[in-house]
Amino acid sequence: MHRVFVALAMLAPMLTHAAPLIGLSAADVPALLKPPSHGERIIELWALDCVYCELNMQAAAAFQRAHPDDVQLITVATDSIAQKDAILERLHATGLDRYAARAYTDATPERINYLLDPGWGGETPRTLVIHANGTTRGISGALTPQRLPAL
Amino acid sequence: MRYSNDLGVTFSAPVMVNAQPEPIYDRSENRPKLAIGTHGELYVSWSQSLARPWTGFVWFARSLDGGAHFSTPITVHVDRTEIGHAFDALAVDGKGRVVVAWIDKRDAEAASARKKPYLGAALYYSWSDDQGRTFAPERKLMDHSCDCCRIALARTPRGDIAAFFRGIFGDNIRDHAYAVLHADAQPNKVERATFDDWQIAACPRHGPGLAIASDGTRHVVWYVAKDTPTIWYGQLDPGHRPRHVQAIAGTGASHADVAVDGHTVWVAWNQVNAQGYTLMIRQSFDDGAHFDKPRSLASTAPSAGAPQLLLWRHRAYVAWNTAEGFRLLTVGEH
Repeated sequence: MHRVFVALAMLAPMLTHAAPLIGLSAADVPALLKPPSHGERIIELWALDCVYCELNMQAAAAFQRAHPDDVQLITVATDSIAQKDAILERLHATGLDRYAARAYTDATPERINYLLDPGWGGETPRTLVIHANGTTRGISGALTPQRLPAL
Repeated sequence: MRYSNDLGVTFSAPVMVNAQPEPIYDRSENRPKLAIGTHGELYVSWSQSLARPWTGFVWFARSLDGGAHFSTPITVHVDRTEIGHAFDALAVDGKGRVVVAWIDKRDAEAASARKKPYLGAALYYSWSDDQGRTFAPERKLMDHSCDCCRIALARTPRGDIAAFFRGIFGDNIRDHAYAVLHADAQPNKVERATFDDWQIAACPRHGPGLAIASDGTRHVVWYVAKDTPTIWYGQLDPGHRPRHVQAIAGTGASHADVAVDGHTVWVAWNQVNAQGYTLMIRQSFDDGAHFDKPRSLASTAPSAGAPQLLLWRHRAYVAWNTAEGFRLLTVGEH
């Protein structure tokens, strides 16, 4: 019984907080980019083989936690959703699994890259900030505590 | 591996290179490579993905019977720690030596263990003097290479293999370096070769292209997204800014390759838009001084890999692997 309780306790954070990983196709992009009703939506684009991405996602998550009523955070893995287990494992390991999570449904990401942000060449991490007034800002590379609020 | 004897119209049945299935890197610019030896040997290298994130080994196999059978794969590097060894590049030099270069994380890992900063990875290489049966212990070419961009290799007129690759200079400036990879005890001379000052703590995922003319002119293409994404063409003058620099393509352009034959230079790349991918080409008939207008060769909606320019009897072809199938496209005579 004790063992069962421990096992359930270990599972509990995932059961209560982990968001499902949802595919992102080209057709899904307009909805993702639709301006929020208020505040900002941050889209953190990352990849399994990107060594710079986890810190970026954590910086974005810290910013969201500091502004819980005004900032939405969605992580988007540019890897194929066929790598779902690895993506979810990484999101869990970095404490990001409570945020809405998407992954590309196409194994070659350039077309979705282009639709998300024509000015983006696919370098990761990439941060998109969509404001309620419809303006969108994109930036590649490491976020700093000063950089994200400026977007 | 499959082969075609009729310029891509039909292909042989596939032959398995690594009989033991394993996870391999096959995405973006980190995909298996094929090279042909001076006596028709077939050489294949690839990067195996290991269990831990960002780790891998570089593997190699050869066929000495025209692709009917492949040897048992061997690991190219002596280092067997479970760290990153990937983005392999493969070439054969003028003496028939097989040269493999790759991106290696051992120095970054060692620095991390000492709690010291280390930007990016390092570029290592090895070579085989015995048709790929064995490889020499690897040599480090340069600390602080980019982590995730392909390495371009090409043969110099003297027969050496030269590398052009994205490095990290100063504080995360992602410009490129050039060096001849000496397959002996000679010291290597690595020089910065592009000076765009694109500073970014990120994985650009766009490696360069290199083609060396018979007169030694080093034609290159490279990608920069400092302002807007741009593919540049230039002629290397290592240690200095490249000459004849021209913007080849802009937003939506990716993964360019370059080839040269005589006075003709070709640049091919993928152009992405909302509909999908278009394979584009530009040609220069005056040694790269001027290029004609961009021309589309083919299109595909679902997905496409990086195009590869190939030369055969002074004609250029582009190998283009798409989700709709492999295509070999004729560029035209020059």
